[in-house]
Amino acid sequence: MKKLMYFLGVVLSASVALASAQGGGPTDPQIAAIVVAANQVDIDAGKLAEHKAHAEKVKAFARRMVTDHTGVNQAAVDLAHKLSLTPESNPTSESLTQGGEQNIARLQKLRGEAFDKAYIDHEVAYHESVLEALDKTLIPSAQNPQLKALLVKVRPAFVDHLEHAKMLQRSLGKS
Amino acid sequence: MELPGPGHPAGVRALMLIVLAAAWLAGGGASAAVASPPARPDTAGTHTVIIEGMRFHPEKIVVRRGEKIKWINKDPFPHTVTAADGRFDSGVIAPDGTWTYVPGKAGEYDYRCTFHPTMKGRLIVR
Repeated sequence: MKKLMYFLGVVLSASVALASAQGGGPTDPQIAAIVVAANQVDIDAGKLAEHKAHAEKVKAFARRMVTDHTGVNQAAVDLAHKLSLTPESNPTSESLTQGGEQNIARLQKLRGEAFDKAYIDHEVAYHESVLEALDKTLIPSAQNPQLKALLVKVRPAFVDHLEHAKMLQRSLGKS
Repeated sequence: MELPGPGHPAGVRALMLIVLAAAWLAGGGASAAVASPPARPDTAGTHTVIIEGMRFHPEKIVVRRGEKIKWINKDPFPHTVTAADGRFDSGVIAPDGTWTYVPGKAGEYDYRCTFHPTMKGRLIVR
């Protein structure tokens, strides 16, 4: 669990540092791509867990992740369209996608309670990493006020999901 | 808001406290703290609670029996308005959707969104 958080943190901060070195944080098109990638990763994990999870409360959480992150993504895509902003792939969005694929590959090998625990542990780490990225990089770097406003508006969703995942983590037994 | 501190002379401090108290009273601070009278509904007789950013705004609402309360979901994902004691339950309120409830019985009701554990609200019916 700690290792995973460390990994996610390193991936996000390394990519963000790279973007900063290239000149003052990600641009709006890059932020849009990061937001879409971050949501998609959690939708994909949720879709797997909806079916594969053992405990009903974990399945319900997974369904919530799919619904909420699909909604956030739709709002992000609608706004990008409205602002004529074409999401631009970048090291952060790519590492998020890659990390998501690795997570799915790992989860696919697990079953029952081991699956639930691994899925929820990852959800805690993932939401913590995304919140950190929102606070330290994405919200401060966003130039367009509507993009910034959307990030601020959806931030509480990540807080709620993190709390929800932590509640489940406690009830499933800590790592 | 800047609070009165040791940097100000006593007279100025007193004045600032009066101003602060007046602002608090004007904002309904005292009345809310003491008696919580029902809020005034709009011209159509409806109270509105906005659901946005995983919160109910206002978090606490005081109404009279028979008055309409409308919850409007401005988040891009669904929510519910569900009383802890089971007295009312909106079911799924879709994005941009609304739910209206007319309480018939006086009481104090804690409610929450069953989807999101951090979301809590309170309805007081006089």
